[in-house]
Amino acid sequence: MKNRILIVDDSFYMRTMLKNMLTDAGYEVVGEAANGQQALEMAAATKPDLITLDVILPDNTGLDVLRGIRQEQPDVKVVMCSAVGQEVIVNEALESGASAYIVKPFSEEKVLEIVGSALQ
Amino acid sequence: MSGREQEYREIFMAEALEYYDAMSRHISELEREPTNEPALRELFRLMHNLKSNARAMGYTSIGEVAHQMETIFGLIRDENRAFGGSLVPVLFGGIDSIGEMIRAVGENEPMPDVERLLDNLDRLAKGEEPNLEEEEADDEEDVSRKLELSDLVYIQVRKLDHLMNLVGELIIDRDRIQTLSREINHPALTTAAAHFSRIADELQYSVMDARLVGVGSLFSKFPRVVRDVAAAEGKDVELTLVGEDIQIDRNILQIITDALLHLVRNAIGHGLETAAEREAAGKPGQGHLTLSAQAERDDVLVQVRDDGRGINVESVRRKAVERGLVSKAAAAHLSDEAVRSFLFEPGFSMAKEVTEISGRGVGLDVVKLAIDSLGGQLRVDSVMGEGTTFTLVLPTSIAVKGALLFELENRNYAIPLMHTDSVVSLLPDSFNVVGGLLITRLQGENVPVVDLRRLLHNGDGPLPPASKADLQGRQDIIIVNYNNRRLGLIVDRFLRQQDIVVKPMSKPLDTIDLFGGVTLLGSGQVCLVLDVPALTRLFLAKRP
Repeated sequence: MKNRILIVDDSFYMRTMLKNMLTDAGYEVVGEAANGQQALEMAAATKPDLITLDVILPDNTGLDVLRGIRQEQPDVKVVMCSAVGQEVIVNEALESGASAYIVKPFSEEKVLEIVGSALQ
Repeated sequence: MSGREQEYREIFMAEALEYYDAMSRHISELEREPTNEPALRELFRLMHNLKSNARAMGYTSIGEVAHQMETIFGLIRDENRAFGGSLVPVLFGGIDSIGEMIRAVGENEPMPDVERLLDNLDRLAKGEEPNLEEEEADDEEDVSRKLELSDLVYIQVRKLDHLMNLVGELIIDRDRIQTLSREINHPALTTAAAHFSRIADELQYSVMDARLVGVGSLFSKFPRVVRDVAAAEGKDVELTLVGEDIQIDRNILQIITDALLHLVRNAIGHGLETAAEREAAGKPGQGHLTLSAQAERDDVLVQVRDDGRGINVESVRRKAVERGLVSKAAAAHLSDEAVRSFLFEPGFSMAKEVTEISGRGVGLDVVKLAIDSLGGQLRVDSVMGEGTTFTLVLPTSIAVKGALLFELENRNYAIPLMHTDSVVSLLPDSFNVVGGLLITRLQGENVPVVDLRRLLHNGDGPLPPASKADLQGRQDIIIVNYNNRRLGLIVDRFLRQQDIVVKPMSKPLDTIDLFGGVTLLGSGQVCLVLDVPALTRLFLAKRP
């Protein structure tokens, strides 16, 4: 069974890149959400195994989405996508149940390594 | 630049220009209302995204400027700085520079120098005064600044599907109006109808064109797949991609994705030998796999070719007999090509053992079904010891199909050209009756012929044995071809060849799989579109 992944990022560019990396590696990308509202709806509808979650989203902070999703689906793995300088938010995310984080700009190897170990 | 790099660059550009427009808008809002919180949050977010995307693309100076700007907008948002004084012109200048840098990327020009800007942004972040002396002199140039919109629009496939459906309806109306205008024969109407037809045609081709994507967007996923599968199978494989620029409908590409993945896995798992086996056979140790696309008239040919061991026709022949697909006697007379077609029968797998990579429970029959659903064809050619080539013959577009129209019992039917070999008109003495079947000889091959009327109306039982006495005068016959099986269908009258728009059957008729859909003719008549794969299967099930 392929692991099913939901991508949450407000940048189409980032979503495309992540989607390509993940599908090339044999994962099934079940959806792409561009904001917090979409992320919550799609997480509920698609029940993914893992969510890659951008820390900054237009309507909501990534943290609120993280908490919302974890409340509904405690088993889902969440990997935060952050950038240098967001260590405070990342730390808070890890405390709120995120499994791991990736720092942008990321390499394909790094993404696959982190996603792979989060799913184990 | 590879297809994917090009795709990333286009997406980056389109999104960066969008961000730049939004940044310009929000900073103007801030100028009017320096504490506008939503505008500050957006500026922070947009800078953040631009920074991440630019760094991923390797545009370091855009990344650097966006990073510094993000820091300062963060400070303003958190009320550590105020949007006012000398900070304002530096931030405006920063957004202008971002616009210039994005344009430089778009036009392949060198990046403008941003040293001074970065220095000033750094000073602001530290709480120092920026160095503004020469900034004023540039003001005049700023007024003439070019406004630039992205040349690329993203559109959901769903919307394109809707457009295509509307065009389909329009084409049916076009035919209807043309027929009416011929009947009414009024000069003004004739002119208007002709003009309308031209525009409708052009619109149809434009919408079809908008749905086309390069085959490369799918092919580019394969180097990775091949590497992984080859590693898992312990084989050394070199992949060559050919014809990545060939254009095809996006939905067709989507539908063949799994089929192609399966064929490639199969080629590496079963087709190609290990380096040791290859060298023992006098071949180079590294196996070669080619994924190619080429345009052929209205079709696109996609091929998966390996230089591996090839298909052992005799072992396929044996297995087909074991499986009861064909009698031993008949099997002995089948051509190699016909024997290889058994590989596409449901559940027919040649793999001795199921490996992790290629034995995923999907057989070639599933590949065949996917191609059938598109009205395409799947062929396999192979030479023992030299390799195997799978060829997918695909329509460029799903919406419009070339079809042959014919009449049967005063009704119109259409049959897709993709499955039509030829049409012939034969006198009764061109036929022989063998085992209750009409057989005729065409190009050195015996082809069974059946009266389509009987095939369609005979209920569930087997067909009655044919007799030459049933044939009165010349017979119009359409020779169809499915999976290398040719079959002649006797019809009442050939009508013409025409492009048709196939619409799915509505309930409850959608369960009759003999018909692939319906189309409306210019006369307003409904015309059933025959599904050749289903018809061939029906014939095989009902033959006497």
